[in-house]
This record gives sequence, structure tokens and C-alpha cells, in this order.
Amino acid sequence: MTVFKAFLHVLNKCNGMVILYTALLLLFGGINAKSGDTTSQFTADKPEIVIVNQDENVGITKNFTDYIAAHSKRKELKSEEDIDDAIFYRQVAFVIYIPQGYRQAVLNGETPELRYKSCQSADASFAQMMVESYLAIQQNYVDAALQANPDEKNISLNEEEVCKDITQTLEQTSTVHVTTTLDTNSMSKAAGYYNFASYSLLAGAIFVICLVLTSFQELPIRKRITISSMNYKKHNAILLASNLLFAIALWLFYGLISFVIVGKVMFRAQGAMYLANSFVFTLCALTMAFLISSIFNNKEAVNGIVNVVALGSAFLCGAFIPVEWLPDGVLAVGRIFPAYWYIQTNEYLKTLETVSVSGLKPVFINMLVMALYGVFYIIVANIVSAKKRVVA
Amino acid sequence: MFGHNFKYTFKVLMRNRMLLFWTFVFPLVLGTMFKLAFSNIENSEKLNVIPIAIVDNEDFQGNEAFRRTFETLSDESSDEQMFDTVYVSKDEADTLLSDGDVDGVLYMNGAEPEIWIHENGINQTVLQYVVDEIVHTSAIMEKRVQNELEQGAMPDIEGLYKNVMEQVAGRKSNLVDASRANMSYTMIEYYTLIAMACLYGGILGMTALSRNLPNMGNLGKRTAIVPISKAKTMFSSLLAAYCTQLIGLAILFVYTIFVMKVDYGENLPYVILLALAGSLAGLTLAIMVTTVVKTGENGKLGILIGITMACCFLSGMMGITMKYIIEKHVPFLDKINPASMITDGYYALYYYGVDKRFWMDVASLGIFSAFMLLVSAQGLRRQKYDSI
Repeated sequence: MTVFKAFLHVLNKCNGMVILYTALLLLFGGINAKSGDTTSQFTADKPEIVIVNQDENVGITKNFTDYIAAHSKRKELKSEEDIDDAIFYRQVAFVIYIPQGYRQAVLNGETPELRYKSCQSADASFAQMMVESYLAIQQNYVDAALQANPDEKNISLNEEEVCKDITQTLEQTSTVHVTTTLDTNSMSKAAGYYNFASYSLLAGAIFVICLVLTSFQELPIRKRITISSMNYKKHNAILLASNLLFAIALWLFYGLISFVIVGKVMFRAQGAMYLANSFVFTLCALTMAFLISSIFNNKEAVNGIVNVVALGSAFLCGAFIPVEWLPDGVLAVGRIFPAYWYIQTNEYLKTLETVSVSGLKPVFINMLVMALYGVFYIIVANIVSAKKRVVA
Repeated sequence: MFGHNFKYTFKVLMRNRMLLFWTFVFPLVLGTMFKLAFSNIENSEKLNVIPIAIVDNEDFQGNEAFRRTFETLSDESSDEQMFDTVYVSKDEADTLLSDGDVDGVLYMNGAEPEIWIHENGINQTVLQYVVDEIVHTSAIMEKRVQNELEQGAMPDIEGLYKNVMEQVAGRKSNLVDASRANMSYTMIEYYTLIAMACLYGGILGMTALSRNLPNMGNLGKRTAIVPISKAKTMFSSLLAAYCTQLIGLAILFVYTIFVMKVDYGENLPYVILLALAGSLAGLTLAIMVTTVVKTGENGKLGILIGITMACCFLSGMMGITMKYIIEKHVPFLDKINPASMITDGYYALYYYGVDKRFWMDVASLGIFSAFMLLVSAQGLRRQKYDSI
């Protein structure tokens, strides 16, 4: 009880920093999920397109713009700089500029120049394919109409008929069957939120726990602890249990926010598994923080360690960017961090159709790996503590 | 005396391991992590060859348009290969799809093509689009034949087919690429790294200034009673901190340019100018925190690091598009964030060159620094201690 009281006393003394960092990290996770970072929404089935139409939006021009708008997420941007910014940040995949006089030129049988801007992503390539395909069909029907009446050129060209033919042709599509019953967008959002949590939980746990525990490492305090009758293992166990309170509070906050941000997924079995996985990870983060605080005595070093360990594991394991975009070599290095196993579970849960014991086997294995990491950290922390009992 | 204080402050700062970690080592470590994590990101976003399965039944074999098109688009020796196609039975195709080995399955049911996919995505959409294009070509053919029949002519089906295919596949559209040259958006991460180094560099200023503040320790008390103007000791200390900060930044630039191959555009003097303005903003932010916040040195350090982390998060360090989202949806927050100003300045140099936007960022950093100094001056002025 004495150790626990001392822990609470120190925690209370640092309450300003604890609240600041905890709030910041929770906020990061929340904002990140709410912003719908498109780097993780690569699998959009409709590319984001801007149409800059300088021609009158009638006839064949309207048919063209209507087709693009129907097969894309059309965005309206005010200025050329806005367009360039959106292209650079991959908020828009493709921009097509329709020049003045486009309609008349097409009706005359010409192929007018169309400028475009592309962010060179898969979405952009698809958008370009779509535009080229439309133009090919358009050209086909215009040529056919002109060939049918070669002497009268555009005067006799029935624009309405050509537009109708193009539309009828493009309306013919193949049948697509989707085998999954999952709402993949919601599942991706949940996985993204909990992947980011690996950073917030780890940084929060290490920062606060190290900040408090380094107070116990100060030389006069250490001398006092060493000469006390309490076994160092018991002392460590009580400190660990005290830290558990803070870790659980941090996890609870993060879990509760997920119900607001992620929504309905959290009320399914997969949601419960996300929570369980993050809980095991939080325990692992707690033991890691405990180990770090037993190694380093310097309060000033805590900030550095938090940033290197938390940001390092976040970048190398896929907390900030999708795992599938990380090179294999980086993921191989990432395996040394518990965050890797945690994120792998989140990624697996994202694709899990039905929750069953056999289906959850990989989840349990990853949790076991995290638990083993936790045990390893405690053993090392105890060894370090035993060595440090010798005070010169 | 100015030179003396400058020299010894500089020495003290260069011998402080914690400070050297934050200003010299940490940005290099983080930059290396960026390099590892982002080395593949821009290749991953491009359209790669799509693995698909085609159910090799009689209907597919009998449909020349589909057979030929997919043969051409799956040709491994071609630069324009779009699909990595396996021809299998229906059951095998289902297994491949559920195991995630292919992104989609094409199944010809009579003359009707059916596409089976596991989930939505750009690869699946591209597959559907290619199939639809073949369907469209057939529709154009039918229309042409119908027109010729209506005009009383006997259609040359073989010739028509060839003609339509040539027109559709030939793609004679006149599309001209007007995209800007520099499109590597992961550069933003490295620019946020520079911004972070500029702001963390302020820790040096915080330490140098604390040495002069009587309420921060015995050294401050000793310095406060020396017969030299406070402005002189403070200015020389801060200049030493600024110089140390610039040395750290120079090392980071050398590392990012020569080891990590970061592209800052082709305007080196402007790159340096922005670094100077950014470092000044970091320094003045630290001065403001040191003078206005009344707490111990560790508390002030924690607050400065917390502010820096938040600024860097909002300028895109932990998700590149965050900067764009904040800039477009919460412009006020973007305008007062020094990390965003620095990041945006480098982005402007890289993407647009030296133009109005770059100068706006430099000016914003200047205004930010002036404002921080003004607030700090309010905290520092008239600090006199009575004899007790």
C-alpha cells in the first residue's frame, strides 16, 4: 500500500504533463480517423475527378461531362492552385480540361486537344482509361455519322442521335458479383483507428509510466528502497500493478472514443476483438514502459525514448501507413516490436467474415506473442532491478 | 563581454548530451525511419499488374473478342501488360478468389460475361472496365451492322469488326499531360522533419535562456547580478543557441540530401532562407514558453515537445494528407502553425518554385517570430529583484 500511495502521489504531482500528453495522443488518434486519410482508402472504386469545362455544357460536351461525373466522384475546386494542391496530395486523381469550342470541333470530325493532370496513381490511370475509352466510342459514332453523310458534314450530323448511341452503348455493362458480406470501408476505418492506437497507447504508456517511475530511481529514494525489508520483486510487482491502473484508464479512453468514431463495427464481434487485441497490447506497452524506466534513471531522457520507441515502431510496423505499402525488409525489422503483431491482428480482423474459434486462431497466436514479449520485459526489468540494488 | 558569453553558452550547449540528442541525433533517426517506411509507398499506389482468373469453359473459348483481348492484355513480354491471368476451372477460380490469390474472376455464361470479386477496389474496377469495353465494342458492332442493314447494304462483318476494333483500341484521342513535374508526395514527410528539427532546436534556446533567468537556478541568480545589461547577456546566449541550432540543421540537410536523396527543388539560397526563418520561429517559440510558463525546466521542456509534436502532427508528419485537410478545412489552424509554414514553404519551393506562396510562408514565419518575441518581452520586462 505504501508503494501504491507513493505512486499515486508522484502521478498527482505530474498531473499537468500526464493530462497534456494523454489528451494530445487521444486527439491525434481521433483526428486521424475522422479525417479519413485517403492514403489508406486506396481501394476507392470511383476515382476523384475534376472537370474544368470551358465549353458550353450542351450536346456532345454535356454527354461527355455527364458520363465522367456518373463514373467518378466529381470534385469542384475554385482555383488552379487548389487543383494542383489536390493533385499533389492525392485528393484528386485526375483533372480533365475541356477547351472552348470542343463540341463544335468534335462535330466537325476533328479530335481536339484535351489537357489533363494526373497524380499518377492507380485511380488516375483508371480515370485516364475511362476518358480514353469514352473518346474512342464518341469518335466511332461521330465518324460513322459523318461517313453516312460525307457531303453535308456537321450540318446533317445528328448530334442528338450520336449522344443517344454513345449513352446506350455505355449503359451496357457486365454483371458483377461480390462475394464478401463485409462492409469493407467500415472495417478498414476500424483497423486504421486501432493501428494508429499502437502509437498513442505506446507513447502514452511509456511517457507517463516512465515519468512517474524515474522518481523512484533517484539515488536517495533508491537507497531507501534498497534497505527496506520488502523484496525487490514484490516491490516491482506492486509498481507494475499500480501502473496497470493508468494503462487500463488509457485503454478505456481509447476504446470509448472508438465507439464514437468507428461506429457500428464496434458493436459486432470484430469490435470486441479489436478491443481485446488493444487491451493485450496495452499490457505489453505497460511492461515495456516498466522495463525502460528500470533501465533509464534520467527524466530528461524519457521524452527522447518515447519518441524513438513509439515513432519507430509506428513507422516500421504500419501504424501510420498501410501495412501492404511497407517493403518486406521493413516489415521483417518491424517483427521485433510488439506493435507488429498487434497491427497484423487488426489487419486480419479487417477481412474476417465470421468470428469463430478456428477463425480466430491467428489472433490468439499474435496475442500470445505479445504476452510473451510482456513476460520477457518483466524478467529483464527484474534482472536490471536486482543489479541496480547495489548502490555505491 | 558579448563574445565571452556567446562562446561559453555555445560550449555549454555543445556539451549537453540531451540537447544534442534532440537537435542533432533524433531528426536523423526519424529521417532514417521515414526512408525505410516510405521507400515503397509511391510504387504501391501505381496501377500494377492485376492477378485475375478466367474460367476456361467452352463459352470463353468460343468468344473471340474476350479471348483475344485478355491474351493481349496478359502478355508478359508486353510493356502494357495489365493482367496476370490464370485459366482454371470454376471451382479453382472460387478457391483462388476466396484465398485472395486473385483480385477477380471472369466467367462467361453463354455470351454474358460475369465478374466475381471478393471486395470492391481499384483493381476490381479496372477488370470490370476492361470487360465492359469489350461489351461496348460488341454493341458498336451490332449498331453498325443494324445501320447497314437498314440502308439496304450487305454488311461486311469481318471488315466492320476489324474497323471498330482498330478505332476503339487505337485510341486516337488527343490527350495532353499538363501535370506538374515534381509529384513525389512523400517529400512532405521530410519537410515536416525539417520543421520538427527547427522547432525542437528551440530547446537549445530554452536552455540558454534558463541560464539567465534568476527564477530558474543559481546560475541565473549569479548572471542577474553581473554589471552587464540584461539585453546583452540574453541576446548573446540566444545567438549561441541559434548558431548551434543551425549547425544541427545543416547536418540534417546534408544527411537528407546526400543519403536520403530528398529533393528540395533547385533553389538552394531559398531553402537556406526558409531554414533560417524556421529556426528563428522555433527559437522564439521556446523563448515564449520559457518566459510565459511558470514551471520547472522539465515541465517547460515537456510543454515545448508537446507543442512541437502537435504542430508536426497537424502539418502531416503522421499522415501526409493531414496537412492538406487542415489547410483546406481549418485554415486558421494552418496559418498559426509554424511547422505548417515551414512544411508549406518547402512544398512551395519543390512544387511551384519561388513564387508568392513561398514568400507568404517566409513572411508568416517572420510575423510568428515577432509575435512570440512580443509576448516574451511582456514576460521578461521589468523583472527586478528587491534586496531582502
